[in-house]
Amino acid sequence: MSLEQQVITFILYVFPFYLFAFTLYIVRALKGPTIPDTVLAIDALSFDIAAFLALLSIIYRSPILVACTIVLALWVYALDIYVSKYFTHKELGE
Amino acid sequence: MINEVFVYVGEALVLIGVFCDIAAAIGMLRFPNFYTRMHAATVGTIGGAVVPLIGVALMALGCDWLGSYRFFLAGASIVAGILIMLLAPVGTHVLAQATHKAGLAPKKPLLFDHLEEEQRGEKK
Repeated sequence: MSLEQQVITFILYVFPFYLFAFTLYIVRALKGPTIPDTVLAIDALSFDIAAFLALLSIIYRSPILVACTIVLALWVYALDIYVSKYFTHKELGE
Repeated sequence: MINEVFVYVGEALVLIGVFCDIAAAIGMLRFPNFYTRMHAATVGTIGGAVVPLIGVALMALGCDWLGSYRFFLAGASIVAGILIMLLAPVGTHVLAQATHKAGLAPKKPLLFDHLEEEQRGEKK
């Protein structure tokens, strides 16, 4: 087996575990009794999707997906900051 | 030869990341309240996102068939990993502080909350 085939097989075997973890995170995000639980679950889910996209871009051989990971991380950080600002001050600020 | 070394080390890091990811997802479902779920979220972000991103960078360096695009992939992955390593703890801490201040999440198994008492004492 060549190295290329071995890498692609490894990534294809890793994918179901990632999808299983995503499913559990989504269950917590939908079920979460309070709003902070939902935000925390979406937080962890998005950072994992960033790693998943980087793996996906090796298979697809396209440079577009990697740029999305950085943007995704920054947006989730913005979500955290906005939600906690709303919790403390009851407004989002201009 | 060097390509194989890069690819195998990267695959080991991705495997560690998958294990942390599954453990964090199960913990996210099983832990009793918000403050204990933060522990699972930390395992899921640092162990489940930063370590696999560095592993992907090493894997991409060893992939010959990607051409010069592999350097772009490795650099972007390392930048994203460092960014997540800096941003995820800050976001989680800010969220926990705001939640505790607003009193939104129940803290059922907790016996004694010293921080809340301190804040109430300062207000009086």
